[in-house]
Amino acid sequence: MLSLNKNLFKRRPRREYLQDRYKPHKSGLMVWLQRLIIFILISVLTLFLLLLSDIVKAEPVADDFPQVSLNNISEGSLLIKNANSALYKQIPHLKTVVDMNVSGMIVRSHIKQQFKNTSNNWVEAIYVFPLPELAAVDHMRLLVGERVIEGIIKEKQEAKKIYNTARKAGKKAALVEQERPNIFTNTIANIAPGETVHVEIEYQQTLHYDQGSFSLRFPMAITPRYIPGKPVNESISVSNSGWAKNTQQVIDASRITPHINMSNTLINPVSININLNAGFPLQNITSRYHNITKQEVDDAYHIKLSEGVTPSDRDFELVWTPQLNHMPKAAIFNELINGENYQMLMLVPPDNGGYNGQPLARDVTYIVDTSGSMHGISIEQAKASLLMALDRLRLHDKFNIIQFNSITDRLFTSSQMASFENILIAKNYIKQLSADGGTEMAPALNLALNKLSSDNYVHQVIFITDGSVGNETELFDIIHKKLGNSRLFTIGIGSAPNSYFMRKAAQFGRGSFTYISGVNEVNKKMSALFSKLESPLMTNIKIDIGDNQTAEIWPQRIPDLYHGEPLTLAIKSGKPLNNIKITGSRALAPWSAKLNLKLNKPSKGIATFWARQKISALIDSIHDGANKDQVRTDIIDVALNHHLVSKHTSLVAVDKTPSRPNESKLDKHNIPVNLPHGQSSQKTFGQLAQTATSAELNIICGFTLLMLGLALTVLLRSSETERANDMNNEARPL
Amino acid sequence: MIIKYKKPYIIVFLFIPGCWFIGQGSYIHAKAIVAQNLLEQAWSNVKQGKSQSKPWPWADTWPVARLKVPKFDIDLIVLAGDSGRTLAFGPGHNFASAIPGKNGNSLISAHRDTHFNFLKKLNPGDSIFIETAQEENKLFKVLSTQIVDMDEARFINDQSSAYVHLVTCYPFDSISTGGSQRYIVTAISQTDYIDPSNKHNF
Repeated sequence: MLSLNKNLFKRRPRREYLQDRYKPHKSGLMVWLQRLIIFILISVLTLFLLLLSDIVKAEPVADDFPQVSLNNISEGSLLIKNANSALYKQIPHLKTVVDMNVSGMIVRSHIKQQFKNTSNNWVEAIYVFPLPELAAVDHMRLLVGERVIEGIIKEKQEAKKIYNTARKAGKKAALVEQERPNIFTNTIANIAPGETVHVEIEYQQTLHYDQGSFSLRFPMAITPRYIPGKPVNESISVSNSGWAKNTQQVIDASRITPHINMSNTLINPVSININLNAGFPLQNITSRYHNITKQEVDDAYHIKLSEGVTPSDRDFELVWTPQLNHMPKAAIFNELINGENYQMLMLVPPDNGGYNGQPLARDVTYIVDTSGSMHGISIEQAKASLLMALDRLRLHDKFNIIQFNSITDRLFTSSQMASFENILIAKNYIKQLSADGGTEMAPALNLALNKLSSDNYVHQVIFITDGSVGNETELFDIIHKKLGNSRLFTIGIGSAPNSYFMRKAAQFGRGSFTYISGVNEVNKKMSALFSKLESPLMTNIKIDIGDNQTAEIWPQRIPDLYHGEPLTLAIKSGKPLNNIKITGSRALAPWSAKLNLKLNKPSKGIATFWARQKISALIDSIHDGANKDQVRTDIIDVALNHHLVSKHTSLVAVDKTPSRPNESKLDKHNIPVNLPHGQSSQKTFGQLAQTATSAELNIICGFTLLMLGLALTVLLRSSETERANDMNNEARPL
Repeated sequence: MIIKYKKPYIIVFLFIPGCWFIGQGSYIHAKAIVAQNLLEQAWSNVKQGKSQSKPWPWADTWPVARLKVPKFDIDLIVLAGDSGRTLAFGPGHNFASAIPGKNGNSLISAHRDTHFNFLKKLNPGDSIFIETAQEENKLFKVLSTQIVDMDEARFINDQSSAYVHLVTCYPFDSISTGGSQRYIVTAISQTDYIDPSNKHNF
């Protein structure tokens, strides 16, 4: 370096000398020209590098590729890409009106779905929609102009056959099928161009009562399900068609994964009207996620959405609390149908008040779902819930954290004491959680439940997830077989968790299900859960209906009850039951209650409630090793008797007169559904990967630099020779 | 004579970074080519019934299908997953989408400047073959090519036929990375393909 500097100094006087001497000389001009060229080259290169990305972004789309802009579409119409051309195409347009009538513990709902075909072709519309997981769908009507066609209940395959025959004959037809206890599909054949068809679906659900509040939920969005598993053998998938029919765990995946609406405009507007007749004075009524208006008429409340309609992107939940002195301790409803007595019993065991025994020493395992579907608000809620849970641990408790997405990871290799240091380590671990990847729940559940529970700790597993999986049955099996003395509590996160999965998982896990929809709810809901976790439960619950009585009571095995939870029974008997005695024990202290069932006026829907309870108990019995064929026969039997849609029965309605002329072709359209609120579509669907590399950029930069270097070398060399010549010229005369 | 002392500067500031940049760029291409050859062995394992056969011990992916376009002499092994790490080695199959060759929408993505550069040459009606562990060459026909914004991409949920969507970044000759436009070639199983020229005879 030093010698270089010396040379530079040496050079300067000589050049100045040369320039002074031959001022108007060509070579001086050349030097300046060279400098100018170099300067320009460098500036251009710098500019080029700086502006590179901007230039590319502004680059217009080549004309030879047709691009369809979604901006050109007139408002209100729903569009989807046509499979057989590159153009977008209008598809049926859906509007939903929901009317709910609450009476006692029973809710009867009417859903009116309006399908409008805005295209120029005859279409078949397929709409996948969620309902509460204990919904009993018992009526469907197809409204064509003035005519009303009542749907009839049939065995699933038979219903499908009836529908397909009608579809081929050009008749209007509707088919309502159950895909999961909380996911249904409605298929409507032969909607004429420009025509509007209405389908009315009626279902019944039971109110949820916990910790002194009643809640009514209407799900409106389906979180896209993660479909795990490897391909199944070809021979299995041949009989059916559909994507992911080819994975072992989820053989019907194609049916529960509706097309997701990816545009920014929300579709499928829903309006909700509720007539609430609680049966006791209310302290308050609140809607958790929507603005409502309420009006008191006589003893009932009329409730509506303030905005009139809402896009179906998040669940609706209405909660009401009785006035303090009207808190229900028990409720009994009955109904007499075809000589059979149906009864519904709800009983809240007494509060243990201030439990004074030894505080429970707990060994808590937290499982947190960090899969892609949790991305967005959900993971933040999960983190907030976890942090809060850690603060509730006492020094004598033990804990561990397991996270899972495509892979499973745990904080400690085994449960550690909840010491100050360990909690701090755990908090740092939680803060670093981020959501990405698949939802492989099974390994995490196995890990959490694979524990010897011979020590003196109460083993609790707290499972935080949005439950967006399709292999529910496999997971229930794991929980059922591995539970041992542990208790599994599920915490549902996100605006549309798969509550069927979580409620059932908690049921098999003999724990409870808590649903948290917003970060601001974490505190309240988690506190309620903690009071359950920290207080002893009511166990060994038995029912005694008297010696000379017979009755079919569901559920047959009564689950343990946590703090604030009611016991709910569905009873069917030939002779009405007079008395019922319920016994149990809480923290080894016995408890019993005797109820008189006689004194009640009849109410509606109790038979349907009983049938729905029986069906869900039958489905659960498969996990206890019941014969599948027998269960299927039993379900069909109950469902046909009570006119219910189930796993094995569907509602079908067919118009008598054909409406589509033979020569017109029928287009098939799936109605896209909205992604649940707050969820990022790209993470959920694992949408389109980044497919550009920096290879080109690197190579271009490299070549530019090399060319520049080469140009400089050449330029400098030529000036060097010239100068050498000059020097020669100069030398000669002297 | 004197001016040659400038050359070290040129070498230091231009030639060395230039070579480094070219090296980086070539490395991406080299990885793309070499990996495909290494995947051959893993693919033959898959064909022999060993599913999820990893091409090298530390790989987080495995071959799921083979994509062939005879017209352009393309023969690529498709890997499981479409993370950036996977796409460096070959086209990646989106986990959430249908398995290639099966009914529904199957998404296969690859880099526009390596494996999927040929997409720009595909036209409706062209033939694509998909080979899977169970199935030999299944013929697909290109239905459409389109350019969409990543957030506006939609796929028709038709479960009665098999679709393969080949996805890459757009524009092809752009040198910036991370753009939001995607070029999507949609192909349908030949058995469900209706030649557009015969459309009206349906």
